[in-house]
Amino acid sequence: MRNIKKRFGNIQALAGVHLDLRENEIHGLVGDNGSGKSTLVKVLVGLHKPNDGEIRIRGDRVHIDNPKEAREYGISTVYQDLALAPDLTVAENIYLGRYPKKRVGPIPVVDYGKMKETASEVLRERLNIDIDPTSEVENLSGGERQAVAIARALIVDPEIIIMDEPMSSLSADSVKRVKQLVKNLRDEGVTVLLISHNLQEVFDLTNTLTILDNGHYVGRVQTDSITEDDVVRMMVGGKVPEEIEDQVDTTPTFSSVAGD
Amino acid sequence: MSESDATTSTEQRLDRIVSKELVDFVRDNIIWPLLLLVFLGFSVLLPIFSTWNNIEALLYGSAALGAVVLAETICLLSGHFDLSVGSLTGFTAITAGVFMVEWFPNAPGIVGIVFIIGLGGFLGLLNGISIGYLEVNPFLQTLSFLIIFRGGIEVVSTATFIDLPESYQFVGGGSIGGIPFALIVMLGLLVVLHFVLTYTSFGRHIYAVGSDKEAAEEAGIDVKNTVLLVYVISGMLCGLAGLMFTGYIGAASPTIGARILFPAFAGAIIGGVSLFGGAGKVTDAAGGILLLGTIQVGLTLLNVDPTAIDVVNGAILLGAILLYTFEERAAEFGGAPSDG
Repeated sequence: MRNIKKRFGNIQALAGVHLDLRENEIHGLVGDNGSGKSTLVKVLVGLHKPNDGEIRIRGDRVHIDNPKEAREYGISTVYQDLALAPDLTVAENIYLGRYPKKRVGPIPVVDYGKMKETASEVLRERLNIDIDPTSEVENLSGGERQAVAIARALIVDPEIIIMDEPMSSLSADSVKRVKQLVKNLRDEGVTVLLISHNLQEVFDLTNTLTILDNGHYVGRVQTDSITEDDVVRMMVGGKVPEEIEDQVDTTPTFSSVAGD
Repeated sequence: MSESDATTSTEQRLDRIVSKELVDFVRDNIIWPLLLLVFLGFSVLLPIFSTWNNIEALLYGSAALGAVVLAETICLLSGHFDLSVGSLTGFTAITAGVFMVEWFPNAPGIVGIVFIIGLGGFLGLLNGISIGYLEVNPFLQTLSFLIIFRGGIEVVSTATFIDLPESYQFVGGGSIGGIPFALIVMLGLLVVLHFVLTYTSFGRHIYAVGSDKEAAEEAGIDVKNTVLLVYVISGMLCGLAGLMFTGYIGAASPTIGARILFPAFAGAIIGGVSLFGGAGKVTDAAGGILLLGTIQVGLTLLNVDPTAIDVVNGAILLGAILLYTFEERAAEFGGAPSDG
C-alpha cells in the first residue's frame, strides 16, 4: 500500500501511509489509539475507499471495493470485534457470506453437511480446538469465539491474514494457542499482519514493524534491530530517534511481493 | 487450578450452556404445545370449537392476516421492522380496487393480481431504498409510510368496490375441492419462504444481517441490498395480503388493513421471532397468528367483550416479550461461558 490517504469530513485519518508486506513474515502494525491502524486495514479490505494512494499485489495495481474482493486477492481478516453473528452457528459463521452450495435439481442450496464437516475439520486440525459446529456462537467463550473468527479467515487459504488485536481479552492459555497459530501460519507461507497494542506480543512474534502516528507513516523497521522503547518513542513522537535512523526505512522501496 | 476446581468449572459451564440452550429451545418451540393447549381448552368449554367447520373458518380467517405477519416477520429477522404493513396492505387493496373498477374495468383478474403485488413491491422498494441505502431510521421511515398511506387510502377512495372480477377475488375468497384457496396460498407461501430463508444464501444473509449488521458487512455480505430486498418482499406480501383480504370480504374496502399492525407484530413475536433480529422461523410465526386467531374465535364464541379480547392478546404479547427478557438475562448471567 503506497501513500494511502483517507479523510473523514475534517479529520485526516491517514495522511500518506505506506505498508509493505512480504512473504513468510509476521509484520506488526503499531501505533497509539487514533493512529490510523484500523482505518488502514479497512482500506486494505475494501471497507473504506481511500481518497488517494494505491494498493499493489505482486506489482499489479488492484482496486479492492469490499471484503469479498479482498478475499479473492487472498486477504483474510480477523477483526478486533471478531465480526461474528451470535445467533448463527459456528459453521455458518465460519462460512459467513460465502456458503458452500450443492444442487437440488436446478436450484443451488446451502450445503449444511459440507459446511459442518469442513468447519469442524479446520477447528480441530488447524486450531487444535474441539467446538461443536452446530452450536450458536452466543454460547461460546471468548477463546472459542476467537478460534471461530480465525477459522473463518483460514478457510479460504489466504496469502495474507490480518489479525486486529487477536489476543486482547483472552486467557493465558488461549493467548499461547493464538501465538503458536500465528507462527504456524508463517511457517506455512502465509503472511501475517498483526495489529496489537501489546508491544511484548509484537516483539515476541513479528519480524518487521510499521509504525504509525496520528495518521502519519513513521517508518518500517526490523523488529530485532530496535527496542520497545524506540518503538514507543516513534509511536508518541512521530519521529525516528537519531541513534536508530539508519535502522528505520522512512521511505519504503516496496518488495516484489506486495509492492512493485 | 486443582482437578476438582476444573471439574466444577466444566460442570458449571455445561450447566450454563444447557440452560441457555433450554431457553432457546423453549422460545423456538413453545408456540405449538401452547396452541394445542389453548385449542383443547376452548374445545372443552365449547363443543362446537373442535368441529371441522370451525377449524376451517379459523384457518380461513387467519390466512390473509398470515401474509401480513410474514411481511413483518421477514423485516424482524433482518433486524429491522415495519410499522407500515397495515397501511400498505390497505393502500394496495383500495388502489387495486380503483384500478380494476374505474381505470381498467375490463381487465382480467390476473392483471389486478400483478398490479396489487407489484404496487406492494414498489412501496416496499421505497422503504428499502430509504432504510437500506439512505440509512434512515426504520422506525421513522415506516412510521412516515404508516401515516402517508393511511391518509393515502382516503385520498384514493372512500368508497367500497364490489364489482371485482371473480378471478381477482379467488385468491382470497375461492376454494378448490372445498378447501379455501387462501389456505393453499398460505401453505405454499410458508414452504417457499421457509426454503428461501433456510437454504439460500440470500435467506442466510437476512439472518446474518439481523444477528449483527457490522459482522455481516465485514464478512462481505451486501447489507444494503439485503435490507432493500427484505423490504421489497415485505411490500409484496402486504400487496398479497391486500388481495387476500379483498377476496375474503368480497370487496376492496378502505377499512382493509386497519388495526392489523398489532397482530402482525404479535403473531411474529409470539411465534418466537426475535425482536432484535437474527432468530426465529416463519413456520413458528404462522403458529403465532393461529394462536391469536384461536383465542379471538374462542373468546368471541364465549361472548367475551371485544375489548377484553384485546387485553388477552396484549397479555400474551407481554408474556412473549418477558420470555425474551428472561432469555437475555440468562445469556448475561452465564449463558456464554467465560474464557477461563
